[in-house]
Amino acid sequence: MESYEKGINTKVESGQALPEKLDISLLKYFWQASPIAGSRIDTIPKFLRKIDVLKNFSDNELRVLSQWLHLRVFSDSEIIFKQKDIGVGLYFIYSGQVDVKVENDDTAEENIVLTLDKNDYFGELALLQEGSIRNATAVSRDTTQLLGIFKPDVENLIESYPVVATKLLQSISVIVANRLFSVTQELKRAKHKLHQMEVDSAKTTKN
Amino acid sequence: MPKQPKTRVQGEVARLIFFFSVIFLSAIALMSMPRIAAPLTFAYVLYLILSPLIPRLMKLGFGRNTSLGILFIGLMFSMTYPIVKLVPMITADSQNFRYYIPKMEKYVVEKYQDIKVEVEKRSGIQLKDSYATDAIYGARKAVTSFLLYLPQYLASTLEWIFLVPLFIFFLLKDGYRLKKMILGLTPNSIFERFYYLGHQFNKKLGDYIFAKFVEASIVGIIITTGLWALDIRFALLLGLISSITNIIPYVGPIIGAVPALIMVVAEYGVGASFGGVLTLYIVANAIDIALVFPILVSKIVDIHPIMVVISVILGSQYFGLIGMIISIPFAAAVKLVGAEIYRELYATRASRGA
Repeated sequence: MESYEKGINTKVESGQALPEKLDISLLKYFWQASPIAGSRIDTIPKFLRKIDVLKNFSDNELRVLSQWLHLRVFSDSEIIFKQKDIGVGLYFIYSGQVDVKVENDDTAEENIVLTLDKNDYFGELALLQEGSIRNATAVSRDTTQLLGIFKPDVENLIESYPVVATKLLQSISVIVANRLFSVTQELKRAKHKLHQMEVDSAKTTKN
Repeated sequence: MPKQPKTRVQGEVARLIFFFSVIFLSAIALMSMPRIAAPLTFAYVLYLILSPLIPRLMKLGFGRNTSLGILFIGLMFSMTYPIVKLVPMITADSQNFRYYIPKMEKYVVEKYQDIKVEVEKRSGIQLKDSYATDAIYGARKAVTSFLLYLPQYLASTLEWIFLVPLFIFFLLKDGYRLKKMILGLTPNSIFERFYYLGHQFNKKLGDYIFAKFVEASIVGIIITTGLWALDIRFALLLGLISSITNIIPYVGPIIGAVPALIMVVAEYGVGASFGGVLTLYIVANAIDIALVFPILVSKIVDIHPIMVVISVILGSQYFGLIGMIISIPFAAAVKLVGAEIYRELYATRASRGA
């Protein structure tokens, strides 16, 4: 195995892109072999680092945020929350899977509309709305570990760590904005399709 | 509605039973140990007042532990100083006040006789002496027992000097861990609702107690300063009585004014001093009603006046002074929980059915 310095020099000489972070194998090995690194305190911030919407958090801010999260364990097919329940929390999937089901108004049957995996999140509207009503039912698949943050935590976070709270609310705003954008696009497509159908039906009637 | 396996539902029911049993048994255990429960409740009340100060200190750049240390030292000083300095003064005042009771009694009897003669002359109705003697007997008994036991109450607080700060320190230091432990025990099916309602309950209780504490202190300071400026005896004791009675809604300020007014009439007669003291109490309570109460307290508690009176009576009947203080926010919290249950049972179900 070539040395770290040699590798960097080769990359500089050949004009290749350099790694963003230091990657010293031996140091990395000892760091990861540390007994502290394996504890949950360290793994939750590491998990949060993988979540895309939390990318603007520094490592220390993720560590602070991790202290306010609640680890909840749900067994197979356990209901996390029900559609039309009042919700107060956002969940990150730490391990396992979650089925999102929506009740059909006419038949009262529930259909799975989405299955969320590890690193996904759901329930963000509940953190922003007053008396937020859940739009869908969330059911765990297998044994699922969720990290939840709730309205009282956000209220306390605003008081204790305003910067972390602002970044969290910014991230939630990004999620909501993205969802709103997708819904708008979907609506546009549906409108266009409807217009097209109206034009087609008008043509058919003329003929 | 999604169907869940039977064994899982049974597991959830078992968790619910276990969780509520733990809460119920903890409450019973606490109620059976009043010497621990009373200072612990008091410490919890102070914890609710003090805990919002930690984030404020942290915003100034202190770490959590440093903020905790600053708060604790401040608390120790503010609890020890009044007890060391004020307790002997209040005890002396209350001892002296006892010697004034016969003088005040004599004055009331004389006045009653004058009124009796006047009433008989004008209307022919004879008032019985027992009206006055019974009232004096009752008042004497109440005042004597209050003054007699006041030094004892204050002495028992010596035990609290050690217990209360200790409890507060650990509530401030490990309260979050305790909260996490209770939340960890909470079954999934009620977790969100329980957490949110618990938070609202604590917030309402903390805000109300803080507001009431500030309100009572303002009234007490105005009255003590005013009585001291008017050169009335027992200014500190009367100020303390007015701030304690201020906690009772509606009738509290009147009850607080009565001992001072009787004392002034008996000591100085109906003259400039009486007018001054009466004006002082009216001004202090006007400031309270017009400024302090609307700004601090009214926004926190939105319950009907009848419910306020009923809850205070029930609170004082079962838990004495502390019951009186916490009865109103407790009633507000019960209303909150009731509204939540109503919403869950009727409003949400109705929208589900729609």
